[in-house]
Amino acid sequence: MKTISAIVLTLLVLSIPVHAGDDDFKSVVKMIEQFYRVKHQGIPFLAKAGMKVGTTAAKIKGGEAKRIAEAGSVKLAVFEDQAFNGDFTKFRASLNGALNDTWIPLIQTLSGKGGEQNFIYLRNARDKYNVLVINISERDATVVQVTVSGKNLALLLKDPEGTGKSITEEATINDQE
Amino acid sequence: MKALFRMKLTMPLILLIALPFVVQAQDARLQLGSLDHLAAKANEIVDVNVDERLMKVAVKLLSDKDADERDVKKLVDGLKGIYVKSFEFDSEGQYTAADMETIRTQLRGPGWTRLVNVMSKKDGNCEVYMLFNGDQVGGLAVLVAEEKELTVVNIVGPVDLDKLAKLEGQFGVPELGIEKTKKNDDEK
Repeated sequence: MKTISAIVLTLLVLSIPVHAGDDDFKSVVKMIEQFYRVKHQGIPFLAKAGMKVGTTAAKIKGGEAKRIAEAGSVKLAVFEDQAFNGDFTKFRASLNGALNDTWIPLIQTLSGKGGEQNFIYLRNARDKYNVLVINISERDATVVQVTVSGKNLALLLKDPEGTGKSITEEATINDQE
Repeated sequence: MKALFRMKLTMPLILLIALPFVVQAQDARLQLGSLDHLAAKANEIVDVNVDERLMKVAVKLLSDKDADERDVKKLVDGLKGIYVKSFEFDSEGQYTAADMETIRTQLRGPGWTRLVNVMSKKDGNCEVYMLFNGDQVGGLAVLVAEEKELTVVNIVGPVDLDKLAKLEGQFGVPELGIEKTKKNDDEK
């Protein structure tokens, strides 16, 4: 009986994606660099100072937005003014191949040929969630990883694209603060 | 020895009884991978995968105290997945009848019923299918085929048209504007 319980428990644990590799963020940044032959800008301290717990309204790019990321959880890589020429389907396949074992691909969008690409992945982080948001446009790209609470996971599920954009905007605006 | 013999007899019987239910449960999830090649021709792509793992953890994590979280929890509770593939093209004729057929073939499987008493406010051809496991709904599929657009929405788990309407605009489910046209008059 104990053996069966142990097997069931092991299977349950294995079925939940957990932090398999904290280097996934770095791997994604490297993958973008190699696929598009671009280079990201190094950002010291990754905007962590600006992140606050809760949903304090903040002015972001002229509009009202909520704080989504948990304090100190933001990882950010920015690519500015470089050419992102490449096959969306091939890039998506590489990305999914690298992440799908430990991350859940929530939404993947392409707007306009050679236009904006958005990828949002999720993974379990104890009682919270890690969210990885990759945004690639013609000349710029951002990779943001944050930890969100259950409440903000609800926001993300309700409006994946909108909340994904808010996460990116929140991270990049904090970098400028 | 007798016990072993009895087990040898009963195990295949159990498997035979259980198999149709297992197959039925799997059938609600459509295989949409055959449409992936359209991504190379599409101008706009939306690909949503909210799988069972995420549904379960979301239900577990979301609080009943907060109104927003409670609403989402209620909506997704019991669902086993939401999958959307949508392609928009610059010109007509970018997807073929064969592409549609790969999906329709699956929807001709056991348990799937096409609802004829529904329509979409969107232009083009809209087909809504439900998977019934006896009296229970096991899933839903919506196919929207416009001249320059192809959208497939697949919801796995107990779902009805009211729930679908509530899901529109959330969880990556596009605004389909699906509504009933007359009383129950479903046919395959």
